[in-house]
Amino acid sequence: MDLSLLQALEREKVLEVLQRDKTLRSVEEDRIRRLKLELQELRRRGAKSFCRQYSERTCARCQRPLGKFWNSGAVCRGCSHRICSKCRVCVSPHEWKCTVCHAYRDVKIKSGEWFMEERAKKFPRETDKHDTIGEILLRSYQRLSYIAIVPPTPPPVQNVFTPPFNRLSSWKNSKGSPKPFTKSMEDLMMSFTTRIKKISKSQEDVRAEPDLLTVEHGSIDRSQSDTAINISANQVPCFQSLFKRSKEQVQERRRSSSALCGDEDTSQSSGYSGEKRGSSSSTSTDCGLIESSGVTGELELALAYSFSSSCFEVVVGACRNLTHGDTKKKKCHPYVKVYLLPDKSQSTKMKTAVIKNTTDPIFQETLQRSIARELLASRTLQASVWHSETLRRKVFLGEVLIPLDSWRFEDSSTQGLMWYPLCPKTEQPQGGSVEQVAGELLLRVKFSSLTQICKLNSTGIGPYEVGQFTVVIIGVQNLSSSKHTSSFIKGCLALPGEREMVQRTPVVKKGPSPAQAHQLTFSRVTPHELQDASLQLEVWEHAPFSVADKLQGTATLHGGLLWQPLQQAPNVWHSVSLPLRANINNRKP
Amino acid sequence: MSQFPERFSAGSTMTDGDYDYLIKLLALGDSGVGKTTFLYRYTDNKFNPKFITTVGIDFREKRVVYTANSPNGTTGKSFKVHLQLWDTAGQERFRSLTTAFFRDAMGFLLMFDLTSQQSFLNVRNWMSQLQANAYCENPDIVLVGNKADLADQREVQEKQAKELADKYGIPYFETSAATGTEVDKAVVTLLDLVMKRMEQCVDKPALDAQNGEGTSKLDAPPVNEKKCAC
Ligand SMILES: Nc1nc2c(ncn2[C@@H]2O[C@H](COP(=O)(O)OP(=O)(O)OP(=O)(O)O)[C@@H](O)[C@H]2O)c(=O)[nH]1
Ligand SMILES: [Mg+2]
Ligand SMILES: [Zn+2]
Ligand SMILES: [Zn+2]
Repeated sequence: MDLSLLQALEREKVLEVLQRDKTLRSVEEDRIRRLKLELQELRRRGAKSFCRQYSERTCARCQRPLGKFWNSGAVCRGCSHRICSKCRVCVSPHEWKCTVCHAYRDVKIKSGEWFMEERAKKFPRETDKHDTIGEILLRSYQRLSYIAIVPPTPPPVQNVFTPPFNRLSSWKNSKGSPKPFTKSMEDLMMSFTTRIKKISKSQEDVRAEPDLLTVEHGSIDRSQSDTAINISANQVPCFQSLFKRSKEQVQERRRSSSALCGDEDTSQSSGYSGEKRGSSSSTSTDCGLIESSGVTGELELALAYSFSSSCFEVVVGACRNLTHGDTKKKKCHPYVKVYLLPDKSQSTKMKTAVIKNTTDPIFQETLQRSIARELLASRTLQASVWHSETLRRKVFLGEVLIPLDSWRFEDSSTQGLMWYPLCPKTEQPQGGSVEQVAGELLLRVKFSSLTQICKLNSTGIGPYEVGQFTVVIIGVQNLSSSKHTSSFIKGCLALPGEREMVQRTPVVKKGPSPAQAHQLTFSRVTPHELQDASLQLEVWEHAPFSVADKLQGTATLHGGLLWQPLQQAPNVWHSVSLPLRANINNRKP
Repeated sequence: MSQFPERFSAGSTMTDGDYDYLIKLLALGDSGVGKTTFLYRYTDNKFNPKFITTVGIDFREKRVVYTANSPNGTTGKSFKVHLQLWDTAGQERFRSLTTAFFRDAMGFLLMFDLTSQQSFLNVRNWMSQLQANAYCENPDIVLVGNKADLADQREVQEKQAKELADKYGIPYFETSAATGTEVDKAVVTLLDLVMKRMEQCVDKPALDAQNGEGTSKLDAPPVNEKKCAC
């Protein structure tokens, strides 16, 4: 179905309706964006803070402690978190949801998402499942529109999204030959005025209605590929409004280009400054190029932690309703990148494959990273969606931040896929508990029963049976210390009842060292005690010629986190990596 | 039942995003049954006796306050609803255009003219058009017999129409765009159905959550059988 079958007048009439619809839609899109941002905020606020012991039972929403019998809370069907009675919202006489799940449901209704989902069930193969028919018609009309503009030659505008080297060279070109520049300037003005007349249908003063320019904003770029226009001669181009518009657009473009730049490859930023210079000189040809690329859509994720392999796992399910990375060509080749903030090192980055030509990509990829359960609590999961345009050029499409401090990885029911609304870039993850992490401590821990040493696979160590807790320090990563120092590690196992056991490794010179040198053994402990024990490990820099040794970092392992893997498999080594927090004041070892 | 939507403060602030729901309804039916006039009555409370046939499509807007019933029976919260009311051309030659718009509407006003037996007979065809093009197999529809004020010219009996509506399992109203009788009620009933549908769609339990998050629901520990706190 297309509009070309209608008579010209009828077509104008329908187009006028479609334009009205477009205005309504843009108001609606803004509203939905706001709704989703609010939801994201609520989710962040509901995150547990790290100051509490993990084993403590608290309401996942307000963090009030929950009792064993009295006010013990109940599990929310939506998120499987334990929720106090105050943080529940009734959805029916027999059903409640936690505040966050309720808000999520609310957004799903208020954003019309329910409708998209229902319709996708009936028409699963429609690619443009979020577009309305009005939108599609309007687009197709603008493509075949006879009101068009001559593309500037060479078109410096098209280089906005190409790698820096191309951009710079073509900028030089356009500077060297001013002719096409002026030419396109004329064409642009004429097309503007023609368009305005079409719309207002009044042959009167164009300058009197500068607002109309905004109405038509965005249609120019679509018709750029079209060929020449017929213009009646006696039209007055409106310089002021045109110029004003252009300036606005350049500004808008600057804004969006910094948003586009994001945190991707640093090689990009140099190209950008060049681009900005370029754009200000080719102002007039830029009109209508960039519709500020708003972040839309959702990302489907599932989070899990494998205690047997000490791996954090993210399942990236799918995305839906992404904005086009290349708004001009309506192209999108999305992929998802995952970090565990604050760690942004390249080596720990996890990435999905790039899916071509879709705004609703399906990834179904599992990304893994070996990391201690304990370490996760201080991390924020950052999953960002990018459009891969060229090898070097990536466009930011939105991100999801999930603070992991309140995530119940122990609870297998939290592992299902969930949709998260994508958000624009945030300056700093609001992890709350993000601390100065100085490095990472890699360990192996084992609990072995002294009495059952022969029965290797025995899982049945009684709670009061005395055993031996062994810690082997495998390495210290990323700790910034001078190369020639030696170090040792002090371990302090705090057991219930004010009992403390302190162990120290010998001083070890830098470089590969035998693992035994780093072994700490705590004898005569029972599983029962370990359950509530905490292990503090300190990395000390040994300075043989100075008076005092220097504390470089501290790591702690406590409570259920320490105990859980040991209990699940005794007599077996478990790998653990712990965050090393930088030392603030020097102490004596 | 929900309360009648009240007229929004009659200001001209229809262009802002200060509303809770955007609900898209669509009127369909033969040419001349009074779709345009009906919607004009609903949004502006006026009657236009002139027949200006609709070209292709059009829409009107209205903001209303919707008061839902809370689950425990008391009067619930009020929401601001922005209604986008699509008006389609009944003429055959626009058919491909108008039916394409069916896919974006959440609820339908299927109209016929009480003074035209033919327009009533065509309801069947419109129903099958809806089934093929609407967002789901059984969308929310209200059957409207219009021009009830022209009693002496009536060709369709209420019983007849009611039977057909019952067969489809949809509500039926006899309205008059000329006097305004039952116009609001027909629209509000449809709005109510759509609002309920939205809730059902998101609250549907694990049944169709199999496509993805099924595991989380199935493995969830049993919920405490405690009464809700609210
Ligand atoms: N007496 C009376 N006349 C009505 C009523 N509703 C509509 N009309 C008249 O019926 C004629 C057709 O109404 P429209 O609303 O334009 O019909 P339509 O269904 O929109 O027709 P198309 O746009 O061609 O599909 C107009 O002259 C209206 O004034 C009514 O309830 N009572
Ligand atoms: Mg009409
Ligand atoms: Zn609470
Ligand atoms: Zn919940």
